[in-house]
Amino acid sequence: MKKLLLLFTLAIMAFAVVGCGGATTGDNTTTVQAGTIKIWVGAESQAFYTQKVEDYKAYYLEQNGTAFPHNFEVVAVDTGSAAGMFLNDTEAGADIFTSAHDNLGRLIAGSSAVMPVQSQALLDQIANDNPEMFQNVIKGTFNNVEYTFAVPYVAQSLVLYYNKKFIDETQVQTWEGILQAAQTANKKALALSGTDGFNNSFILLAREAETQATSLRLYEGNVLDNTNGTGDDTIAKLKWGQSFFTHPNGVVSSSSTAWEVQLQQESTIAFIGGAWHYEAAKSSLGNNLGITVLPSFTITEADAYGTCEAGTVFQSGSFYDTKAFFMKKGSPYQEYLEDILLYLTSKEVQEESFEEAQNLPAYKNALEEFAAFDEDTPEIMLATAQLRMAEFSIPQPFGGSSKFNTYYYQKGAPDLILEILENRDGLYATHAQILEQMQYVETIWKTGVNEKTN
Amino acid sequence: MEHIENKKNKKSSVISRFLSFFKNLGLGIVNGFINLGKKIKNGCTKFYKRFMDGSIGTKLSHFVMGVGNFYHKQFLKGLIYLSIQAGFLYLMITSPKVNNTPIGFKSLSNLITLGTEPGDFFTPTDNSMLMLLFGVIVLGIIGMFLMAYNSNIKSSYKADMDKRKNKKPTSFKEDIKSLLDERFHVALLTPAMIGVLIFTILPTIFMIFIAFTNFDKEHTAGLHLIDWVGFKNFADIFSGTGEISRRFLPVLSWTLIWAFFATTTNYIGGILLALLINKKEVKLKKLWRTVFVITIALPQFVTLLAMRSLLSNGGPVNQMLVTIGLMQANEPFEILAFASSPWIAKTAIILINIWIGVPYTMLMTSGILMNVPSELYEAAQIDGATKRQAFFNITIPYIIFVTTPYLITSFIGNITSFNVIFLLTGGLPRAAGGAIAGETDLLVTWLYKLTIEQNDYNLGSVIAIMTFIITASATLISYRRSKSYKEEDAFQ
Repeated sequence: MKKLLLLFTLAIMAFAVVGCGGATTGDNTTTVQAGTIKIWVGAESQAFYTQKVEDYKAYYLEQNGTAFPHNFEVVAVDTGSAAGMFLNDTEAGADIFTSAHDNLGRLIAGSSAVMPVQSQALLDQIANDNPEMFQNVIKGTFNNVEYTFAVPYVAQSLVLYYNKKFIDETQVQTWEGILQAAQTANKKALALSGTDGFNNSFILLAREAETQATSLRLYEGNVLDNTNGTGDDTIAKLKWGQSFFTHPNGVVSSSSTAWEVQLQQESTIAFIGGAWHYEAAKSSLGNNLGITVLPSFTITEADAYGTCEAGTVFQSGSFYDTKAFFMKKGSPYQEYLEDILLYLTSKEVQEESFEEAQNLPAYKNALEEFAAFDEDTPEIMLATAQLRMAEFSIPQPFGGSSKFNTYYYQKGAPDLILEILENRDGLYATHAQILEQMQYVETIWKTGVNEKTN
Repeated sequence: MEHIENKKNKKSSVISRFLSFFKNLGLGIVNGFINLGKKIKNGCTKFYKRFMDGSIGTKLSHFVMGVGNFYHKQFLKGLIYLSIQAGFLYLMITSPKVNNTPIGFKSLSNLITLGTEPGDFFTPTDNSMLMLLFGVIVLGIIGMFLMAYNSNIKSSYKADMDKRKNKKPTSFKEDIKSLLDERFHVALLTPAMIGVLIFTILPTIFMIFIAFTNFDKEHTAGLHLIDWVGFKNFADIFSGTGEISRRFLPVLSWTLIWAFFATTTNYIGGILLALLINKKEVKLKKLWRTVFVITIALPQFVTLLAMRSLLSNGGPVNQMLVTIGLMQANEPFEILAFASSPWIAKTAIILINIWIGVPYTMLMTSGILMNVPSELYEAAQIDGATKRQAFFNITIPYIIFVTTPYLITSFIGNITSFNVIFLLTGGLPRAAGGAIAGETDLLVTWLYKLTIEQNDYNLGSVIAIMTFIITASATLISYRRSKSYKEEDAFQ
């Protein structure tokens, strides 16, 4: 019995040791035996890119006369957290992975976790195919030399999903119109999911409709101090936002899934979201689903502040981002990665990706050149709304340093802005109070320090 | 007057208990160090004695492990000890690289520097975290080697003693046999101890070390060099600025309030429910117990998520209230994450927790009630006690006596209760002033956010250490003061 007990204990120990043992990892040499190239893509694109890597193998055989020497594993990941996942364990990270461009600062911080693009063919393709705004946000500098670190392949922007049953085409052009529709139906005008400063950027990033002017600056030219959140128009916009948020039929905060229920049950008639919300919005609203650009709003007498006068019309803004592929620094398959990316981000593959996975191409002439855009479907409606939003948007300007993204999103600034908009206990009823709070916000954006102590 | 005097006495008694706790704690620490010193001294004395008194084999085994056993013709044992020493020296001297980081003697110097090569876009940075990890592992290996080294000397010395008593030194087979017989506890405990060392002690030491570094989201392992920062992270709690300073006391207070109410409401509710079901007048006892036990059978996270969905602003409860006209569609009823006041959310969480937790106590108390020694009641009846007196003087003390350890573990469990808060509110509503820790975050959910979401591992480690200190102190104090501890044999 004792022997059995001892054997049992030892067996458990052995299982534990084997179970906790990690997989064998490479030794960072550049030449390797046949192995598996790991690629992380968004869950919506996994099937598509699984097929595409097979096509690439055929293409490689045709070009080189020999079979591609490695296998591929295309893994579905949450694109929002892929960069974080990668940084948490770069050894286990994919050889090629997808991420929004605003993570560039984090990825190249310190000695960089990703490899700069060095192939001239790929650099040329990036330069020829992508809009300038994307080309500017995928670069980093080392020893005064500028390098390109990512290959754009998808564009994305926030749009408005709305219920056509309650909001007509005129009303949907302004937030005031949507609010009026909500009042008539006794519903909430807008469900806002998340409090991370991305979704409520539609007020902060709004520009004067006529002139496109805004005093808001976020790390312009990759300079930390080139940041301003206390201009007169910003204060006036937030005051307007406050009246919208606190209106009985205004905005309802929602969890990442509750908004679907709210749309479906018609307690809320609109939702701000990205392309990744499309399937859920379609399933909630069915044929009543409308998709358009984020509406405009007009500054009232009560909102006007300083140089920002009553009657000024602002067009809601957004971040217009690109999802890009990055290459792991030190990947044993380094010599193959750039050629693979050249293929996967080509204009043709981007068009196919749109047709099969509704990924909005990053390719700059997609609207004119892609036959897929000639149709009239909700998917095209989504794509054109996003492309139109590009006119009123900026790419997230956080690529210059890992600090930018952290200071903007993670040091409490979004919560302080939301406090203004929600105005609980009437703490931000006056322009002066809003300005004071925005001064704290601006300090956080510039220094990462939250000086507000209560 | 007497009333005031009593109050004063009570107050001074509480203060003196409080002071004596810290006095005892201080004395305990001092005594601990004195005992440790004594043990080291005894160990050194024994070591010296064995060296001087031992045979040439024992003397040599101080330098080359296993020689003493070879000397006594215990070849297999000697070979094992020799292999341990050879393996240890090989590892330490060659310091093989794992993921470009050496593990061996170099790990000790790396543990001090945490890396020196900053790297750039084309060359790798020293991985400070691997260096810290390997340093801790090597310390563990050195610790285990020293134990094997000591055992090697003891083994040879024992063979010396056997010879002096004209006994034959034990063979390897006899040693194994002894391990399966009179020293079976050693055989059984050794793998367990190694497991505890590898899976509990070393990770804990690693975590404690992280609290003294600047390993955060701005210092990613493998991309930046990480440095030791001393007690800075702990001092930050009291600095008056920054997340950890502003939110520590509010989060700690709510953690303790939550733990108190979550424990007592479940405990009292469970006991009352058990007493109710056990009443003679109540029929279908098994059915009632089964109904409540179903809550236990369901995975807790399913129940919690169901509750959250039911109460969400687009959920069925809101829909029902709108339908029956008690609420407007544009004014949803919010009592969890988006509640207008944090205390509404906090109260809601405690109430929902009763629904989840009461059946556990009910089930346990039912078992206890069925096992109260009937002699106690008989004796009470003979002494003329009423039912009420028997209840308050036998039933309740018995339940409390038996369940005190449960009550303590339940309190500690609630301090580190992750699921309820994370799944019901995710720590929301937000705290004013912009902070990662929301109004309903406990220390443990805050710790999760700081590490998993924010990558501020150093601050996470500080919170983990503080949580450990609180839970360990609360457990020790309450358990040592409980009757279950003081009067262990009372109900036997």
